[in-house]
Amino acid sequence: MEEIFRADYFHKNELLIVVAIILGLLIFATLLFAIIGIINPKAKLQELKARTKSWWVMASMFIVATLVNPKISYIAIAFLSFVAFRELYSLMGFRESDRKAIFWAFISIPIQYYLAFIGWYGAFIIFIPVIMFLFLPFRFVLKGETKGIIKSMASLQWILLLTVFGISHLAYLLSLPELPNFSSGGRGLLLFVVFLTEINDVMQFTWGKLFGKHKIIPKISPNKTWEGFIGGILSTTVIGYFLGFLTPLKGYELVLVSFMVAISGFIGDVVMSSIKRDIGVKDSGNLIPGHGGILDRIDSLVYTAPVFFHLVYYLAY
Amino acid sequence: MKKIILQIVYCVIIRNFLKIFVGVKFDKANFLIENEQFIIVANHNSHLDTMAVMASIPHKIIHKVKPVAAKDYFGKTKLQEKFSNYFINTLLIKRASGIEKGGENPIRQMIKELDKGYSLIVFPEGTRGQPEVMQPLKKGIALVLLERPTIKFVPVFIYGMGKALPKGDGIILPFTSTLKFGVPEMIDPNSDKDKIILTIEHRLQELKDNSFADGI
Repeated sequence: MEEIFRADYFHKNELLIVVAIILGLLIFATLLFAIIGIINPKAKLQELKARTKSWWVMASMFIVATLVNPKISYIAIAFLSFVAFRELYSLMGFRESDRKAIFWAFISIPIQYYLAFIGWYGAFIIFIPVIMFLFLPFRFVLKGETKGIIKSMASLQWILLLTVFGISHLAYLLSLPELPNFSSGGRGLLLFVVFLTEINDVMQFTWGKLFGKHKIIPKISPNKTWEGFIGGILSTTVIGYFLGFLTPLKGYELVLVSFMVAISGFIGDVVMSSIKRDIGVKDSGNLIPGHGGILDRIDSLVYTAPVFFHLVYYLAY
Repeated sequence: MKKIILQIVYCVIIRNFLKIFVGVKFDKANFLIENEQFIIVANHNSHLDTMAVMASIPHKIIHKVKPVAAKDYFGKTKLQEKFSNYFINTLLIKRASGIEKGGENPIRQMIKELDKGYSLIVFPEGTRGQPEVMQPLKKGIALVLLERPTIKFVPVFIYGMGKALPKGDGIILPFTSTLKFGVPEMIDPNSDKDKIILTIEHRLQELKDNSFADGI
């Protein structure tokens, strides 16, 4: 059993505290919406309830990922990439002649995560942006179907970067070397960035609902307002500062990193929204079946994971 | 024994493979248990279609359902025929071209199985064709329904399988797909085969339009 579970939470108070906070917040939110629903059955709570549900899924996934043997965590995060990749490419309308190249893109997922697992940083960081970037177009070319080849080449590489390269930074956090005087290690960092990203979503949403007036980009996200954006960034930065014990960062570094997580979370959210909008519009107002699963849950993480990783890597390692 | 094997093969192995690896979203199908007998009518784009429809059926009745498949494809050799009869539980029929050379009438074969109490899965498009392009339906299903008008047909729309495993390709690529059930419906015993085919075509088209509009 000890090989599978790493129940050393009780010796690592930092992790235990954060897990308790996360679960507490989720239980609080779930109960709150349930009670509001009973008191005022007309309240429009569908969206809030759906969001809470997806936070439960995310939180349980990552708490379990930090609890179990790290090998299983790598596989779990790789699976997240796999599902996200599958979902996004299925929406994009690739040509039938693209199947061989897509096959190799799928093959690149376990390779990328294996590189993260063995901690070979040099290969991890160039595998998708350099090697796959050069190889995939060649696979398209071998098929010889030139009509629409630019779109296929560009979209496939871009989907790989978003869903595999970006998310795999979460896995590499677990491979970072141990630092003296920093006991929670990669698991602490993983918990920190996922929790802060989700908190940022919640905060932007809450501030927007409470005080939102001036829209930022109405064409893409009609619900996003300046009030929500600024309120969200400020609260996320403050919360990140107080959760700093999960990271090896100090003082101003912590403020900077939390601030950047907040900003990039917002950007990831709206970038993914714009994609969904394009796909929705393209088919004359109809969405393609199969849409709306994991992508809604990891839209911000796609941006926060690499930004957070490289900032921490630069500042502390 | 066969029931347990079918349950393990479809409801556990194939269902989870399709769900987790390929990415199929199954519609709820518990309402099928309430119908004693039915004929599932589905569109056909891929070898995975038969697997997907079978895997969507509740485990309690899986052994009472037989997919109808072409003998010239699934029963090329005796061994293959035994294999598909046992593990896929297929009812192998000869296609029109095969009947001319003699052999049992497929309509009769299907009715015989219905009379034994089995439900059927039929792909009236015949061949798999291009992904997401519906072909004209073969008339056989209408003849069967006319002979046994108390049995309901259930339209099923499958999206995406033709992209996960298209005709003439050997590799399954994961592709987010959907399997949607329509409402069971009885035919009008006084109508003719062309009208019935038209109704079925219509129901499949409705199901397709609805699943695109829902975005599920």
